[in-house]
Amino acid sequence: MSGDSDIDLDIDLEVDPQVDPYGPLVRALFERPEHAGAVTGGVSAGAEGPEARVQLFARPDGETVTHLGFRAWGCPHVIAAAEYFCANHQGSALSELEAFDVSEIIEKLSVPAEKTGRILVLEDAVRALCGRLRQ
Amino acid sequence: MSTATSFVYLDYAATTPVDREVAATLAALLTEDADFANPSAPHIAGRRAGVHVRRAASRLAALVGCRPDRLVWTSGATESNNLAIVGAARYRSNRGRHLVTMPTEHKAVTDVFRALERQGFDVTWIEPGTDGVLDPADFEAALREDTQLASIMHVNNETGVIQDIDAIGDICRSRDILFHVDAAQSLGKLPIDLDTQPVDLLSASAHKIYGPAGIGLLYIADRPGCHVEALLYGGAQQRGIRPGTLPVHLIAGFGKAAEIAAARMDDDYGHLQRLRDTLWAGIREVAGLYRNGSAVRSFPGILNVSVDDIEGESLLLALEPLCVATGSACNSKDREPSYVLRALGLSDAAAQSAIRFSFGRMTRMADVELAAERYGDAVARLRQIAPVRAA
Repeated sequence: MSGDSDIDLDIDLEVDPQVDPYGPLVRALFERPEHAGAVTGGVSAGAEGPEARVQLFARPDGETVTHLGFRAWGCPHVIAAAEYFCANHQGSALSELEAFDVSEIIEKLSVPAEKTGRILVLEDAVRALCGRLRQ
Repeated sequence: MSTATSFVYLDYAATTPVDREVAATLAALLTEDADFANPSAPHIAGRRAGVHVRRAASRLAALVGCRPDRLVWTSGATESNNLAIVGAARYRSNRGRHLVTMPTEHKAVTDVFRALERQGFDVTWIEPGTDGVLDPADFEAALREDTQLASIMHVNNETGVIQDIDAIGDICRSRDILFHVDAAQSLGKLPIDLDTQPVDLLSASAHKIYGPAGIGLLYIADRPGCHVEALLYGGAQQRGIRPGTLPVHLIAGFGKAAEIAAARMDDDYGHLQRLRDTLWAGIREVAGLYRNGSAVRSFPGILNVSVDDIEGESLLLALEPLCVATGSACNSKDREPSYVLRALGLSDAAAQSAIRFSFGRMTRMADVELAAERYGDAVARLRQIAPVRAA
């Protein structure tokens, strides 16, 4: 028989990913998207699907994309993915953006399999943006 | 121990915390020095436990205006709905196999009717108006000579819409059709008087009225032709309608919760009205916002709103630490828009953006003031992030 002192009622959501569909990284990117909004003096391009819309903004300096920004509509993973892309690819060469593969973000953010389709909208938006930048 | 103070709970339509007096009642009936025994046993411990069961039945009967012996204990409203609908349909199947319900009922009703359809019953699904209210004339028009059972909920769990169960029940009585009411959202919150109201079968749960989860009831009217076939076998308890050893502590807790609900019904109702009106006043100016379900025939413990061009899952996360319900199935793998809101004519997108706020006895005015502020801020932030759509 357990005594009162054995009753285990403590819980910690942070260490139990089964009860949080997002995780701390997605939450941080969703709650504080520092690259949300247009970038002045640059170009923009976007893509959309039934469950996500992503618009990207970029200001280049020669072959380097010095500033990236985004606007996004969709679930928290979509917004977090757009923020993650901008935060991690600002300052990249255009050729690097052209080689962008969304699977990197899907893995980093632990995007559930049923949501990968909407994250692919980000990849489409990146390709459209690169096309605009090449123009 | 977690004190669970890090969130604001506005999901009382899903479940309620157990009232402290109810919790004390439960705890007092569990251990070896308590009246824990099988209440069907003839020995003294069993007879003592039986007193608690009968006392609880009296309290529930007083709450809904019926004789205590017309109540059958179940594990909750889901089981009660199953027992009422399947049990009554089977009991009356030699008279006819036509059944009537609405597509806006709880899954614990709609899924039961769909199962009966697969078993050869013919179900008519009557659509409500866009306000969620069923017109009794539409109901009557759906009835047939062979209709045996109708099931219409009292208060809708998503929108709070109140159906006119008196008018619908009168129609059923005039045609000798059994009338089942899912009262999971109304028991203890709206007046129910089964002695005068034309209801044959009524389902409810304890955990919606500050009682424990795991206990519910089914009321079966004492009139000719009104009976249900048992779905479970295994004993003679409860006249064989629902066998199994009765959980004395849960039943006693349900009874205590019913007693408190009866005493506080008017005060609780007024409290819910003030909370709902305060929240609505705080968010109604949000651009593109609209209320789902009738604002006239509505239970004040529930406010369901949608907003244009906002994604529901992001809205839900942006609203944290508010605990509210969305307009879609609460499962990250199944984001189907609410079938209830779709039946009211909402688009997938509108249904998906829906948020159900539901309040209770323990909700404070500061909670709904915070909810209004968070809702406005969350919508503004998500709109600021969203791409501008081409005109």
